[in-house]
Amino acid sequence: MTAGMNAPPDESSPGLPPADYEMLCDFLRERTGLSFTEAKRYFVDRRVAARMAAVGAATVREYMRLLRFQASGEELQLLVNLMTVNETYFFREKYQFDCLVNSALDEVVRGRPPGARVRIWSAGCSTGEEPYSIAIMLLEHWRRVDEFEIELYASDIDSSVLARAQEGIYEERSLQGLPAHLRAKYFRRVGSDPDRWRIIEELRESIDFSHVNIVDPEQLRAFRGIDVIFCRNLLIYFDDLGRREAASMFYDALAPNGFVCLGHSESMSRISSLFVPRRFPDAILYQKPVQGGLP
Amino acid sequence: MALVKAKKNAAPVPAAEAPGADPRAGLSDSDAAVRRQAAHRLAQDPGAVSPLADRLAIETEPGVREAILTALVRIGTGEAVEALLPLLAREDAGLRNAVLESVQQMPGESVAPSVVPLLGHADSDLRIFAVQLVGKLRHPERPAWLAGVLEQDPHVNVCLAAVEALGEIGDPAALPALERLLLRFPEDPMVGFSVDAARRRFRGG
Repeated sequence: MTAGMNAPPDESSPGLPPADYEMLCDFLRERTGLSFTEAKRYFVDRRVAARMAAVGAATVREYMRLLRFQASGEELQLLVNLMTVNETYFFREKYQFDCLVNSALDEVVRGRPPGARVRIWSAGCSTGEEPYSIAIMLLEHWRRVDEFEIELYASDIDSSVLARAQEGIYEERSLQGLPAHLRAKYFRRVGSDPDRWRIIEELRESIDFSHVNIVDPEQLRAFRGIDVIFCRNLLIYFDDLGRREAASMFYDALAPNGFVCLGHSESMSRISSLFVPRRFPDAILYQKPVQGGLP
Repeated sequence: MALVKAKKNAAPVPAAEAPGADPRAGLSDSDAAVRRQAAHRLAQDPGAVSPLADRLAIETEPGVREAILTALVRIGTGEAVEALLPLLAREDAGLRNAVLESVQQMPGESVAPSVVPLLGHADSDLRIFAVQLVGKLRHPERPAWLAGVLEQDPHVNVCLAAVEALGEIGDPAALPALERLLLRFPEDPMVGFSVDAARRRFRGG
């Protein structure tokens, strides 16, 4: 299957023409307050080029028309999201992890005997902050954590970030969202460097990291019976068909009644009709119905 | 600690899903999961439009329908478009909407030859679907086709669908056709409202 993900923009390309760059920045400033100077040009060029490729816009002017006139405003939201994503960090968008431990997992294990498996997958795990955050949240905040055997999977299409995830070394700014007692419990300083911390071996060893293209059905065959998939701010890099194929792969990977968690600006309803949105006190998740029926 | 090392691929692969199995046969398997896998595999086979479309016509399981539609979108040929368009006349609104969304995701050069003629179909509901599809086409003639609807279509609801599509495109060149539509349906308040909304959007309001 052809990957739905767009190839990264050619780094040697000259980027947007100056007039187009100025027009786009003016528009973003006017609509969102986000301001990008010439110094941010590389950052903006890459993201705009990726979105133009995803929607099939041949020119900046055509892309601007979509941003300006699309009734749903979806494309503008996706671009803004891309422009504001610089890096990931521990406990990012923590309310979704709260939803996992306060609501979703209790529903997942309903009727399962003690000792049963629970499978959670961080798809597009980047440098590992998300799966490690999930592990910490489970150990610290899910009251039934000791009753079940929990398997954590983490995957990314980028092998270089996977290697960093497995190494588990983070700088101070990645850890800012972590309370001090959790840092002390789950991290160790790297040598004498005050700015680098390594997650403890027990956690590193508990996560199965793998190199996966999430729209390749052969690779996805290994993922079955998953209870919760985290796929946050990844599908924004895909075109419509790629998003749809990824949703379909998640559907196959999930156990009946399993959940998908998307980024805060993403909506499964715009991607696929296969899932049912579920509003929990902390967040909205998307649930795979039992075959042919409602959850 | 309750975290255990994961063991992927613990479940055996059903024979009907195995790499050597015939995916065309899999489309009629009694297990919906096997039918879905068959559809995934046939997405790589441009010659599989006919068996996929035949199964879609009788398939009732939503997950399998979605897999077949996604496969046809991935194939993306004119033949795949032609196989889907007759389903727009079905009573099943869920299937109609899914087909509409699917055709909108297919390449413009595959969609246009089959969909543009539908703008002249006798059934006004089908013409509305055609307008919605043309509105999403990635094709330079798109505004002209929609302007033609404003000039000629006798049904006001078809024209209103075209106004909405032109508003989404945002090309001010459509303004004269919009103004003429007002003259064609001077007594219809929805036409006045919709054209006014489109004018405002063209001005960036």
